[in-house]
Amino acid sequence: MADAGRPALSLTVNGEARRIDAPPTATLLDVLRDTLRLTGVKKGCDMGACGACTVLADGRRIKACLALAASYEGRAITTIEGIGTPEALHPLQAAFVRHDAVQCGYCTPGQILSGLALIGEGVDSVEAIREGLSGNLCRCGAHPNIVAAVAEVAGL
Amino acid sequence: MTRVESPVRLEAALKVTGRAVYEAETPMTGMLHAALVEAPIANGRVLGVDGGPARGLPGFADLVSYAEAEVFKPSGSTALAREPRIHFAGQPVALAVAGTLHEAEACARAVRLDLAAEPAVTAMDQALETAFAPDIVGRYPATTLRGDPGAALAEASLVLRNRYETAVNNHHPMEPHSVVCAWDGDRVVVHTGTQAIFATQRLVAHAFQIPADQVRVVSRFMGGGFGCKGQLWWPWMMWAILASRRTGRPVRLELTRAQLFNLVGRRQETVQDLAIGFDAEGRLTGIDHAVLGQTATHGDYADGTARVSRWLYACPNVATTHRIVRTNEPLPIPMRAPGVAPGLFALESALDEAAGRLGIDPVELRVRNYASKDPETDRPWSSNSLLDCYAAAERFGWSGRPAAGKARDGRWRIGWGMATSVYPVHHQPCRVRVRVEPDAGLLVQCGTQDFGQGAYTAIGQLAAEGLGLPMDNVRVELGDTDLPEGPFTGGSMVTASFTPAVETAMARLRAMVAERVAADGASPLADAAPDDLVFEGGLVRSRSRNAAEGLAEILARLAPDGLETEGASAAPENMAFSANAYGAIFVEVGVDPDLGEIRVRRVCGAFAAGRILNPLLARSQYVGGLIGGIGMALHEQVATDRASGRIVGDTFADYLIPVHADMPEFDVLMLDEDDPHLPGGVKGVGMLGTAGVQAAIANAVFHAVGKRVRRLPIRIEDVIG
Amino acid sequence: MSGVAFDYLRAGDVAEALTAGAKPGAAYIAGGTDLMPLWKARAAAPALVVDISRLPLDGIGVERDGRLRLGGLARLSDTAAHAAVTRGWPLVAEAINASASGQVRNMGTIGGVLLQRTRCAYFRNDALPCNKRAPGSGCGARAGENRGHAIFGASEACCATHPSDLAVALAALDAEVEVMGPDETRRISVAELHRLPGDAPHIDTELAPGELIAAVEVPPCGGARSTYLKVRDRASFEFAVVSLAAVLRVEGGRIARARLVAGGVAARPWRLEAAEAALVGAAPSDKAFDEAAALAVDGAEPLAHNGFKVDLLRRVVKRALETVGGAA
Repeated sequence: MADAGRPALSLTVNGEARRIDAPPTATLLDVLRDTLRLTGVKKGCDMGACGACTVLADGRRIKACLALAASYEGRAITTIEGIGTPEALHPLQAAFVRHDAVQCGYCTPGQILSGLALIGEGVDSVEAIREGLSGNLCRCGAHPNIVAAVAEVAGL
Repeated sequence: MTRVESPVRLEAALKVTGRAVYEAETPMTGMLHAALVEAPIANGRVLGVDGGPARGLPGFADLVSYAEAEVFKPSGSTALAREPRIHFAGQPVALAVAGTLHEAEACARAVRLDLAAEPAVTAMDQALETAFAPDIVGRYPATTLRGDPGAALAEASLVLRNRYETAVNNHHPMEPHSVVCAWDGDRVVVHTGTQAIFATQRLVAHAFQIPADQVRVVSRFMGGGFGCKGQLWWPWMMWAILASRRTGRPVRLELTRAQLFNLVGRRQETVQDLAIGFDAEGRLTGIDHAVLGQTATHGDYADGTARVSRWLYACPNVATTHRIVRTNEPLPIPMRAPGVAPGLFALESALDEAAGRLGIDPVELRVRNYASKDPETDRPWSSNSLLDCYAAAERFGWSGRPAAGKARDGRWRIGWGMATSVYPVHHQPCRVRVRVEPDAGLLVQCGTQDFGQGAYTAIGQLAAEGLGLPMDNVRVELGDTDLPEGPFTGGSMVTASFTPAVETAMARLRAMVAERVAADGASPLADAAPDDLVFEGGLVRSRSRNAAEGLAEILARLAPDGLETEGASAAPENMAFSANAYGAIFVEVGVDPDLGEIRVRRVCGAFAAGRILNPLLARSQYVGGLIGGIGMALHEQVATDRASGRIVGDTFADYLIPVHADMPEFDVLMLDEDDPHLPGGVKGVGMLGTAGVQAAIANAVFHAVGKRVRRLPIRIEDVIG
Repeated sequence: MSGVAFDYLRAGDVAEALTAGAKPGAAYIAGGTDLMPLWKARAAAPALVVDISRLPLDGIGVERDGRLRLGGLARLSDTAAHAAVTRGWPLVAEAINASASGQVRNMGTIGGVLLQRTRCAYFRNDALPCNKRAPGSGCGARAGENRGHAIFGASEACCATHPSDLAVALAALDAEVEVMGPDETRRISVAELHRLPGDAPHIDTELAPGELIAAVEVPPCGGARSTYLKVRDRASFEFAVVSLAAVLRVEGGRIARARLVAGGVAARPWRLEAAEAALVGAAPSDKAFDEAAALAVDGAEPLAHNGFKVDLLRRVVKRALETVGGAA
């Protein structure tokens, strides 16, 4: 702990070592979205109930709004910005485009990161994808297209 | 049938990579953050706002309330920001501004309010005696009478009289409302996710008494809206803009999810008394549809809930009435198929019940009552493919419908139900600017908004097709009042409004190219008549002779500065036709009567909505609408604490919307429909999915377990046992 | 959203955690999935947050005596996926996988999930009265919106329910928690970990301030069949309206052991002892299950909006017994 009031936080974000000045109450969402300006990490409810802020911590999907930033000292965080670029889409991002799994786009980064982690966790059916993505809300109603995109990349 | 291409969403790559910048994410130097101070009472007056305790806190920058907002030139849209009256619990009474969001929230908490509380009406049933007829419902009369429904119902061979109720719903776009604003002298830029940038611009200009061209409103990306990103957000946005002017610094205000429950509107709660009468052959002889709805004490709002009863079916005797009750609760605002969705829930549930009583198949009953012209105005339909939509019954397998209560799949009782869907066609004026560069790069600009429905793509597609260019050549700019004014986003009317404008603009561009190429002796197309030229595949080609030239070559040679023009469309006036888009929705549900669980398993929707520009995106719209309707049917309900008037359960853990695991299989059929009477032949698809599916689900539940549920949402307690 | 400012300490070892955790106003944080939303909603206002997430209390394994030992800081997702758990204690995995979402299960811990606080909306909104959050402010739910509330064991002061799925399953497995405090390590059965509200609803559990859950130990299932049946309004990502963990061992055509514990009906996992007693010694049969189901709801005291839970619980018990009892 650097000093009691504002400890400096070290994170590896999208492969890059970052040192961040943040109050002890900061969530990982605050740090990523506001301090580091990784605005692909969306704030939908700030209460862990929508999944828009989903990021990967050491490869596992978590909700950044529920994560106290200080708890993640030294961890490797991956946000949507670290997955692919418009010029070089990740296969899952490309599948989202092809399947029109995007409408307003606000839940999209969270859906993609959640889907990516879910594929890594091992899913064997479309049913399992639906269940596994249920922590990511979508209000436009892109669900079937989202599941189709994830299923395609999962080889189902 | 002409094959319609479905380019993928134009902005999709930005969205899937997190590079699409939503307005709250607009970077600004020296930004301050804002938080609202909420009233703890549901009715009363603010006697004083003591910011003293906040002023000493770290980062404090400003505090604005109704007193500071007196500088606004009064208008109805900013009334709540200017008056000390409290109409509902949680109503903002001040805005605290500080260096960080956490500091602003601490400052807001520290503000002391001196309040005079008064008794509050926290539910409609506490004030039924005060119900009154509003001036209008939507844009139509509140009360109508055709024929003599009283006599018709008295003489009918079958009469059903029932009460239907629909709960308060909230829109809940995934992106909360926000504003990032900054002044430069007496000019202001306002980044806010809004469905109406130009109306927002006019409001800001009016309130601050500056010319509209000194107000720039930007809404390039919007994380959904569904009706709530409009006027009810304005008072709080205006406080942020005022604070920005007072502090001379950019200010950001973002609503919390909890605030989306009461600050930005809701689907109106309804209690509907519906009587329908039939003759022995199942023809409707009389309808009496009386609607009671909630409104707030600071505004009279009424959805046109009973409107569908006026014209969906041929019926000679129809009475419709709407009454509203003012309560100390938030004000409703249009939400996904406003009026039509709750109205159809009642009407289409009643028709299903009647079909059972009459021993007529539910589809056949609707076919018998098909209206071959608009029964309300006597005008012909611009087009009406409803009967073709019903034919989708075959696709669903309707003729194999099991006997009620007989089909099972393990623990599930299976039920099938159907309903008609309908949504009226409306238009707004629209202007677009198009510009083609010498390299055949095409820019289209329109001051409308894309909140996820696909306006970027559809506009780009029309423009690309207009010059026969690939989508890669097109750039579309929307959501900025520096662009030509386009329609607000709502009522399923944006595509219908911009299509003729874009097509006009593209025709002008083609004419400009044709004129230049015809006059150019060096071109193989020299002297070609304009209507001899075809634009396709990046070429301009003659129909009559074997001659063609690349569009880029023509432009590089003949329009080195590019070509630019505008197109405009207006809402058609005095239409000789009535216009609706239609659908028929078939649903299979599973009900576990022991556990009370209800799952939609399969939805087949057939829709006819004029010309479909992009089937891929249209399908997404239909499915999205259906999912919204499933939420309304089975999940969504805002609960209000009667003692305090507070919303109980203002999180996504309490207010349930459907999740991935709730999704049925969707089969969407889009019928070809040429409508020669509508501009561009376009109707609108956004609302159709959300209209009708609620009744189809309720009808399927009845078919599965014999329980006729007339209140939405249908929940465990309604079907158990 | 943000709550009141707090200090943060990452505990380097258990001793440091216990010392810091005993300070007034201290709260432990592990996954944060419950504390953070409570803090944001101002239903929790710790002065000091003690981060225990890196303490070596995350083991998952089978002890020599055959008991399953889950570290208090074992992640829910790791627990549900662990081969020993899925083989020997499938009820544990079933209950975890019925909880929350994939993201939350990656964050939440065994100890944390047992200590999560009620979902009562009056508790989680500081603009509403709640004796659990603000003792003496009254219970808004009792006369207000109470569809999700308790039908057993409530008091005038509080009718909230405990929301954890895993606690229900562990109670049915006769699990015990190992609790560490500054002075001693003690054991409490999961079924007795949570308190009924009485006139002190602000105290959820038997844990003293500063104590933390070091581990949960679950006895072997001994050939019993089990199921976790969770009823909710949507298909996933929702707390239980009513749930039931049922564990049944049949020997020689007779029920030798029965554990029925209900969730979503009381401030703690609610053991249906009368129903259990009626089952033991009986042959699994429709009649025996009906009798047990009827006994299960004996003494229920529904409120204005949750009366359906009584009928629902009865049916849930019947269905769960059919699943584990192998009866026709």
